[in-house]
Amino acid sequence: MSKKYVFTVMAALLVLLSACSNKGSEGNVANTPPASTNGGAEIADPFGKYEETITLTYGKEVDPTDKSLPAGDTPEDNQYSRYVKENLNIDTKVSWQAATGTNYNQKVNLAVSSNDLPDALVVKDTQLRAMVKAGQLEDLTEAFEQYASPAIKNFMEKTNGVSNEAVTFDGKMYAIPSIQVQSDGVHQMWIRKDWLDKLGLEPPKTMDDLEKVAKAFVEQDPDGNGQKDTIAIAGQQNGARLYANALESTNNTFGLDPIFGAYKSHPGYWLKDDAGNPVYGSILPETKEALAKLRDLYANGLIDKEIGIRKSAYEPVVNGKAGIFFAPWWMGYGPLPDAIKNDPQANWQAYLLPLDADGQFNAHMGAPSTLFVVVRKGYEHPEAAIKMLNLLVRDESKFDISVPVGHYPLRVPMSYTDESEYSAKALQDILAGTKKPEDYTDPGYKLLAADIQNVKKVKKEPYDNMDIQYWDPQADTGVWSRMYSLLVGSSALQQDYNKVYSVLYSQTKTMESRWSNLKKLEDETFLKIIMGAAPIDDFDKFVSDWKNQGGDKITEEVKDYMK
Amino acid sequence: MRNRAFTKHYYIMLLPGFVWLFLISIIPIFGVVIAFQDFNPGQGFFKSEWIGLENFRYMFSLNDTRTIFFNTIFIAVMKIVGNLMIPLVFAIMLNELRLMAAKRWIQTIVYLPHFLSWVILSGILLDIFSYTGPVNVLLHTFGIDPVLFFARADLFPFIVVGSDVWKEFGFNTIIYLAALTGINPSLYEAASIDGATRLRRIWHVTLPGLRATIVLLSVLSLGNVLNAGFDQIFNLYNPLLYSTGDIIDTWVYREGLLNMQYGLATAVGLLKSIVSFIMIIVSYMLASKFANYRIF
Repeated sequence: MSKKYVFTVMAALLVLLSACSNKGSEGNVANTPPASTNGGAEIADPFGKYEETITLTYGKEVDPTDKSLPAGDTPEDNQYSRYVKENLNIDTKVSWQAATGTNYNQKVNLAVSSNDLPDALVVKDTQLRAMVKAGQLEDLTEAFEQYASPAIKNFMEKTNGVSNEAVTFDGKMYAIPSIQVQSDGVHQMWIRKDWLDKLGLEPPKTMDDLEKVAKAFVEQDPDGNGQKDTIAIAGQQNGARLYANALESTNNTFGLDPIFGAYKSHPGYWLKDDAGNPVYGSILPETKEALAKLRDLYANGLIDKEIGIRKSAYEPVVNGKAGIFFAPWWMGYGPLPDAIKNDPQANWQAYLLPLDADGQFNAHMGAPSTLFVVVRKGYEHPEAAIKMLNLLVRDESKFDISVPVGHYPLRVPMSYTDESEYSAKALQDILAGTKKPEDYTDPGYKLLAADIQNVKKVKKEPYDNMDIQYWDPQADTGVWSRMYSLLVGSSALQQDYNKVYSVLYSQTKTMESRWSNLKKLEDETFLKIIMGAAPIDDFDKFVSDWKNQGGDKITEEVKDYMK
Repeated sequence: MRNRAFTKHYYIMLLPGFVWLFLISIIPIFGVVIAFQDFNPGQGFFKSEWIGLENFRYMFSLNDTRTIFFNTIFIAVMKIVGNLMIPLVFAIMLNELRLMAAKRWIQTIVYLPHFLSWVILSGILLDIFSYTGPVNVLLHTFGIDPVLFFARADLFPFIVVGSDVWKEFGFNTIIYLAALTGINPSLYEAASIDGATRLRRIWHVTLPGLRATIVLLSVLSLGNVLNAGFDQIFNLYNPLLYSTGDIIDTWVYREGLLNMQYGLATAVGLLKSIVSFIMIIVSYMLASKFANYRIF
C-alpha cells in the first residue's frame, strides 16, 4: 500500500517537474522579440542618451587581487558604471562575476552551453565562434553601421580589415572586436638593471650572453642577502602559457617567447615554409633546437625550478627574487608597482633581446583583435553596447585610473594599433623639448593629451634616463604605471625588429574538435622536455603524433583558408 | 507494516530527499543524449545534429582515454585499500589504549582533517611539498637534494593517495571503533583466562568480530572504484602530472567545460557511469552474499 503511495507521489512529481522544465525551455525559444525596431525610428546618435533608463546585464571579469575600489563601490556600481548611467542612461547590472582568466572563461563557456546568456559579454575567439554556431548572438551589422562612433570605425579601418573579418560570419557582423595595440603581442625581456650594474654586466645581447648573465644572477648573490636564493629567468605559473599561440596571441606574461624567437622558432603559430605552404611552428626543427637549449638552461638551474608549477608567477618578481622575465610593455601596471613597493631600488628595464644568430630580434605578432563584445540574440537594445564603447573611447582620458579602467562595463581595449609606440615617442620628444603638446592633434590617440599633461608628475630629471631612481611613483601611482609602461616598456619597440605574423589567428573546422587534444599533447611534451622529465627526442614522437592525430588534416585546412 | 500511520511519517520525511534526487541526479541523466550528438547549445538536446557513435569512436582512438581510466582505477584502488586498512590498524591500536582520556583526544584530533576542504588542504600540501617547503628542508638536513615533488609524475599518485588517507583515516576509524564496542567483553575475559596474550586476543577475538564490518565496507567501496577524487586532484595537478595524475573527472571537466567538447566529454562521462553502475550492482550482490547486507 504505502509503496504504491510513494510511487504515486513520485510520478506526480515527475510530471510536475518535466512540465516546469518544458515551460522554461519554451520560454527561452519564444523569447525572440522583433529585433531593434527603435533603431530606425530614432536618429542614430553614437552618444545619444536614452530617454528612459534601459537595463543591460553582463558578465564581469574581476581581478581578485584588485583592491582599488573605494569603500562602498562594487564591481557593479562604481565610477565607470555611474558614468555610463549619467551619460547614456544605461543601467548596467552584473549577472555574474568571475575571477580573471580560467574562471571567467569557464563561466562564459557554462553560459554558452546552458544557453543562459546575459545581455552582453566579452568573449574570446573560440567562444565567439561557438556562440555564432549556436545562433545565440544578435546581428550587429546595422547597429554598428548606425551607432559606432567615427573613432571606433577609424580604429577598425587601420587594421586593414583583419578585425572586421574576425567578427564577420556569412556577411554579418556578430561582435564588436577589440582593437589592441600591437605591442600587446610583443614579448620583451625585462631585466633588473640594478643587478646588472652591481655585478658589472651588460644587458645580454645573445643567447650566450643571456646564459652568462643568468648564471651570474644565480651564483653571485645579486640581491646581497648572503644566500643563494635568486632565480635568474622567471617562468609561467601553473595553467599559464609557455608561449603565446595563434589563438591567444597577446599578453603572455612570464612565458619564454623571446628565447624561442632567438632560435627563429615560433611555436603555436602558423608560419609559411619556403614553398609558401602553411606549417605549424611547434613541429619545426627550430623549436626542437630552442627546447634543447631551454632544457639545458633549466638543468643548470638558470630557469625557475618551479616553472609551470608555481601558483603565482608574480611572486618572485614582487619579492625581488627574480632577475629576468619576459612580458609585453605594460608591466608598469603590474607586477612592477608591487615590486618597487617592496624594493624601491628594483630597476626593471625592458629590452628587445635576446637576438638570434643573425643579430635580429624575432617577435611573433598578435592578432589585432582577441576580445569581442557580443550581444545576446533578442536583446532589445543591441546598440547600447556600442554606445558604451563609443563613450569609453571618447572619454577614457578623463577617467581617474587609480580605479583600473577594467571596471568599465564591457570594456575591451580600443585604440590605434601603434598607440603605445607612438605615445612613447611623443612623450620622449615632449620631455626632450623637441616637440610641443600642440603638435599632437589626432584625437584618435585618445590618452595622449592627458599623458603629455601628466608625464612630468612622475618623471624626474634627467628626462632621458629611465632608471628607477629618476621616477617618483609616489606622486601618482596610476600615472606612474602608464608612464613607466610607455617610456620603459614601449620605447624599445620603436626600433626595427622582425615581425612574424601567423597565417591564421582563429580555428578551422577540424580544430574545433581536435585542437584541445593536440594542444594538450604539445603543452605536456614541451614542459616535460624542458624540465628534464622526458628526453629531447620525445619531440620527434610528438611531431609524428601531432600529424597523425589531426595535425595534417588541420594543416590542409589552413592551406585552403590561405587561398 | 505493522503501524501504517507511523511509516507514513517516514515517507514524508524522505520526500525532500527524493525531490533533491530528482532535480539534481535524475533529470540531468537525460543529458547523456549529448554523447551521441554534435551538441549545439543554441539548438539544445532535441535539435542538435545526431552523429551516433562518432564521439565514442574518437574517444577510443585517443591515447588519453586509456591513460585516464588506468590512472583513475590505480588511484582509486589504492585509496580504497589504504582507507580500509589503515583505519583498521589504527582503530585496533586505539582500542588497546588504557587511558580513556587519551583515546578520546586522539580520536578527535585525527578526524579533524576530514572537515577541511580540498581547496584549503591542497594549498597547504602544495606549500609543504614545494621546492623550498618543509619537506625539502628536512631532506636537505639529511643531505638529500631537494625534490620538485609536483613535477614528478612518478610520485604524484602516492602523494594523492597518501594525503587522502591521512585526511580520511580518522573518520573511518570511528566506524571500526563503533564495531569494536559491539564485541562481547566476555569473549576477551574468556580468552585471557585461557592464557591468550594481547596479540592473540586481537587475532582471535577482535579481528573475527570486525570481519563483517570489513567485508561490508570493502564491498561497498567497489562502487567508488572510478571516483579518484576530483577536487583533490584538480587542486593539486599541473600539465606535467597528466600522465599519471589525470583522472576521468578532471579530463571530462577540461574537455567539457574549458574546451567545449560537449559530446566527447559526455561520452567519456557516460562510459564512466556505466562501469560504475555495474560495479555498484556487483558490490551490492557481493554485500548481500557475504555480509548479509540488503537494501531491498
